[in-house]
Amino acid sequence: MEAAFSRITMTAASAMLLLSLVVLWRRHAGAYITAFRTQSITLAVTGAIVAFYGTAPELFFVSFMILVVKGWIVPSVLSAMDAKRRSGRELHPLLNTETSLLVCGALAVAAYEISRPLAEVMNLATRGGLPIALALVFVSLFIVVSRRDVIAQIVGFLMLENGIALLALLGAYGVPLIVELGVFLDVLLGVLVMQAVVYQIHDTSAD
Amino acid sequence: MDLILVLALLMPPLAAGVLALVLRRVPRRVAWLNVLTIPISLVAAGAIAVRLATGGASIVVGQLWRIDALSGLLAVLIASVAALAVALGPGTDREHHWRDADVRTFRIYVNLFAFTMLVAVSTVNLGLMWVAIEATTVTSALLIPLQRTKASVEASWKYLLIGSVGIALAFTGTVVAYVDFATTGVDINVALDFTAMREAATAFHPQVARLAFVFLLVGFGTKAGLAPTHTWLPEAHSEAPSPLSAMMSGVLLAVALYAVMRWKTIIDLAVGSAFSDSLLLIVGTATLAVGSLSLLSQTHFKRLLAFSSIEHMGLACLGLALGPLGTFAALLHLTGHALVKSATFLLSGRVLHRFGSGTISATRGLLATAPHTAVLFAAGIFALGGLPPFSLFVSEILIVKAGWAAGHPLLTTAVLILLLIAFGSLLVQLHRMLFGEAPSGITQGERATGAVLLLSVPVVVVAWLGVSIPAPLQMLLSNAVLVVRP
Repeated sequence: MEAAFSRITMTAASAMLLLSLVVLWRRHAGAYITAFRTQSITLAVTGAIVAFYGTAPELFFVSFMILVVKGWIVPSVLSAMDAKRRSGRELHPLLNTETSLLVCGALAVAAYEISRPLAEVMNLATRGGLPIALALVFVSLFIVVSRRDVIAQIVGFLMLENGIALLALLGAYGVPLIVELGVFLDVLLGVLVMQAVVYQIHDTSAD
Repeated sequence: MDLILVLALLMPPLAAGVLALVLRRVPRRVAWLNVLTIPISLVAAGAIAVRLATGGASIVVGQLWRIDALSGLLAVLIASVAALAVALGPGTDREHHWRDADVRTFRIYVNLFAFTMLVAVSTVNLGLMWVAIEATTVTSALLIPLQRTKASVEASWKYLLIGSVGIALAFTGTVVAYVDFATTGVDINVALDFTAMREAATAFHPQVARLAFVFLLVGFGTKAGLAPTHTWLPEAHSEAPSPLSAMMSGVLLAVALYAVMRWKTIIDLAVGSAFSDSLLLIVGTATLAVGSLSLLSQTHFKRLLAFSSIEHMGLACLGLALGPLGTFAALLHLTGHALVKSATFLLSGRVLHRFGSGTISATRGLLATAPHTAVLFAAGIFALGGLPPFSLFVSEILIVKAGWAAGHPLLTTAVLILLLIAFGSLLVQLHRMLFGEAPSGITQGERATGAVLLLSVPVVVVAWLGVSIPAPLQMLLSNAVLVVRP
């Protein structure tokens, strides 16, 4: 039972990391948004699995919130942003795909090395996924600094948030509910404010 | 009684922000109501500070709110600067002509911004503190482009992105520490509670605690304008409307450093203070260098003030690494900086309005053109340069002294040189602005208005603090030092 739990969470975490790589090799904002939506749904499912196996019922509620906020509302906001600007244009990142993927490989190795003390002190069945969660944090950070397109940057930031949520989920079965709710509120407001500022950038450059 | 104090501290800005949101047709009346009610926050913060200075117990309400001497000090600073910004912001200043919609936007966000900062320093839950500090980015970013220029919108985007990502790294650190804490078998419900964490800190795993602190320092350090992730700060602070610049520079940076201090306390108990001290020394020196070496080349006076903020944050960061004396100096420095930098930013808004340009080269003959503003602005620059009698002189001397006592002669010499460079650069830039022939078409002369009178208050207070620190403040600072370095 515990072995199955451990394997399922590992697989889910790996899937989330792979989805973040989509942003590095695709060239359309639509693909980024889909990758983020899928990643968020995977996170919600992981949350539900942890809630079930780890007997942490409040995580069912948190997973539901993840599904609604990050799986539905935020991607819709991003899609609206994408639709409002000229579609189908090529996006040129600061680094090419090959170099980007190479950097991400290095980041994943670094994440394993850095998270070793953390994984050693833990006795939860989910500890195996911690390096992957940290790798997701690093790769997302890399996405933000290496992409020039605003939607890629926002998606990078949101994937960073997903990585931290995964870290909390696998490391300690989530942070206290009050903090979790505050984080949801911040993510939601943050994306709305980002949207407003991006629209203002469009307005002022159109003048 | 505790509940009333906390409510009196937090509610005025929240209520004013909500009122501005709801009463959309009468933003100017809301603005005046805002000016009348914001002093309640200040009085409450003052009452809390006096109680904590005289040895009273921390203010505790429920499981989430706890104000000790360190939070009390920050609360007074936030409430003071917020009161200045609220009193002199769009809707109540008579010199600018703001549109009603802009007045409303300003009143909504500036109050929520003040509220989120007050929440950050009054909560005992480090998770909630993080949520509040992240919320400061959200509430302030939309105010930067109040005048919708291309530069201000881009500054806002840069601030929003770097700020959000930085603060997300701080959350990573928070979660790493929380994971460690949860494995020590403590009740999960209090697992991000500062007091509970402090008690259990000795059970932390040293490796994990160090990892957490690196994330926390990078994350909150980004918000505090520490090098190398300070790059958002010059644009954001110079493009924002001046009342917002005052709050961002005067207190938001201090609130971010406050978060670093809170975590440092816990991490130090787990692994000893040598680790965090050495990191703070490196980061502090780098930040001080970036700030002070950039001053001379600035061509806009608000950017000059922004780089001066970077310099002073570096200095405060250094102080925090230098034992109890250094910590005392850092807190005194943050106090002086909060008051005088906010006043100087608000004065720079008056200069900008008068000359219609933010460049130093276009601002000639300030002394003849607007004598009251010029004298106060000059006093502010002197204070920021570390000239006596201002309190920043005292705190800078104390930081240097602490550095010497801690056995860092080379570092201390470097700091002294950087401080001299900063002072010289500020003086050169000020000289360019004060004297010379004003460009034609600029209105000459200035009346001594209420705004001038109000702006002289923080400048006079900082001068007074440099001459003698009143006993209650001395006690409050000493008690706050005990919180950071028990």
